[in-house]
Amino acid sequence: MSEVANIGVPTQLGAAPAADSQGLGAGVAAVAYEIAHLLERLVAHGECGAIDLRSLPMTIADRLRLQEFLGSGEVRAEISADGPSVVRETAIPGVWWSEHRNAHAELIAEVIEVCPVPEILVLSKEELATGSSSLRERIATLRAAHES
Amino acid sequence: MALRDRDMTIGDALDRNHVSRRAFAKFCMAAASAMALPPMVGKAMAEQLRVARRPSVIYLSFQECTGCLESLTRSFTPSIEGLIFDVVSLDYNDTLMAASGAAAEEARATAIKENYGKYLVIVDGSVPMGDGGIYSCAGGRSAVDVLRETAKGAAAIVCVGTCSSFGGIPYADPNPTGALPVSDIIGNRPIINISGCPPIPEVITGTLLQYAARGTLPDLDAQRRPTAFFGNSIHDRCYRRPFYDQGKFAKSFDDEGARNGWCLYELGCKGPTTYNACATVKWNGGTSFPIESGHGCIGCSEPGFWDKGSLYAPLSAARWGKAGEATSMESLELVAGGAIVGAAVGAGAALLGRHRQNQLIGGNEPAAGVARAPGAGPEVTHRQEK
Repeated sequence: MSEVANIGVPTQLGAAPAADSQGLGAGVAAVAYEIAHLLERLVAHGECGAIDLRSLPMTIADRLRLQEFLGSGEVRAEISADGPSVVRETAIPGVWWSEHRNAHAELIAEVIEVCPVPEILVLSKEELATGSSSLRERIATLRAAHES
Repeated sequence: MALRDRDMTIGDALDRNHVSRRAFAKFCMAAASAMALPPMVGKAMAEQLRVARRPSVIYLSFQECTGCLESLTRSFTPSIEGLIFDVVSLDYNDTLMAASGAAAEEARATAIKENYGKYLVIVDGSVPMGDGGIYSCAGGRSAVDVLRETAKGAAAIVCVGTCSSFGGIPYADPNPTGALPVSDIIGNRPIINISGCPPIPEVITGTLLQYAARGTLPDLDAQRRPTAFFGNSIHDRCYRRPFYDQGKFAKSFDDEGARNGWCLYELGCKGPTTYNACATVKWNGGTSFPIESGHGCIGCSEPGFWDKGSLYAPLSAARWGKAGEATSMESLELVAGGAIVGAAVGAGAALLGRHRQNQLIGGNEPAAGVARAPGAGPEVTHRQEK
């Protein structure tokens, strides 16, 4: 960070708006309240929710504050599907921080998901059926090779 | 039996290219984010797209610099976006297609005939009307003839870039070729403007995706731009906005304020009057956008941006509208707002922004309409076709 700060052009690393007494900037506190609301709705009605972080005008400093505020949980999943994705559980059960990158490792989506398990980790029935037939094909191929 | 290309759904094409559901879900999540749609919409979009048929696209290039096409192809190259572009059936583009001469024109005629009433026309560049349209000709035909012929059977016309949307730089004074935007020539087809010099590649992709998924045109603003991408001003979504609200402005490009990343309003930033998705979608794969690199917005996605005075004059001093002409009410309010330094300026501009958005929400007009919504940006009177 120090090297970037020495460059004579403004960057997002500039001073963030003043933090409140609990150490959260106004934007970060608003996101925290929205997460709390989504989590309460999940508990009460089973409805999943998400917040698109890229659409929010947050500084990098604000984002780091939010990450620190939410903390780290026990689960971290890495997905390799046309580029890397990382789905990380926060210290708040049911609150996940997902980062999705394209084949060039460029960030294409960053989302806080409030759900039991993020959608991208869950398989559809079609995918399970494809997996079942694929496994049968592999077994048949293996058997044919063994018998020949 | 193998499917013919034009009979394929997008799902068929994805399966053919071994694109997993997760990879496609990621792409749709990113597209939903780019369109400022709720993240949960990405899943529904993925399901809709998989069963959608590939729309035929005819891409026409007229009086332009090819920057728009460069922008588009930069987004699509080998990533999954490339596959999406592949699954949109691009039947004619004189820059990218292998065919040339009579064979290329035959491909355009075939696409029109086989998809009459259903194909999309993308137009890149303004259309020169001066001296019978002789300033842009291909195959012995003028741009305006080709446009009129191709537009007849189009489901919609997508104008890519500020030149086809509003005339752009060819249309700027003194406009030696008599350039006009497409909307001043074609009056009976739905038109979507994706302005920008160049437009953001993901905005082009997102608009095409939305059309492919829903089969309908997106909601448009008074300038016929998709509200999903053009509903907010750059200023509304700018990460430097808190400094504007606090009255902290850079006074030069190398002062303390500039080094601290303060607001660039006084250095001529046109963010408050420019509607586009640069601050959220960003450029170069989401790396940054001009303001993040220390330069103010130049307002390139707005009509007549090249004729509005210095790019480095603050909005309060810029001539929004031409000298001697009446200035729109919004401009007057901005001028007044610009004279007040500090939080009051921020609050006033925020109110203006909200005011405009509310009017857009309540006052969207159909794609074929031409009237301005009340409170829309400064009016630009297009030169009439001779």
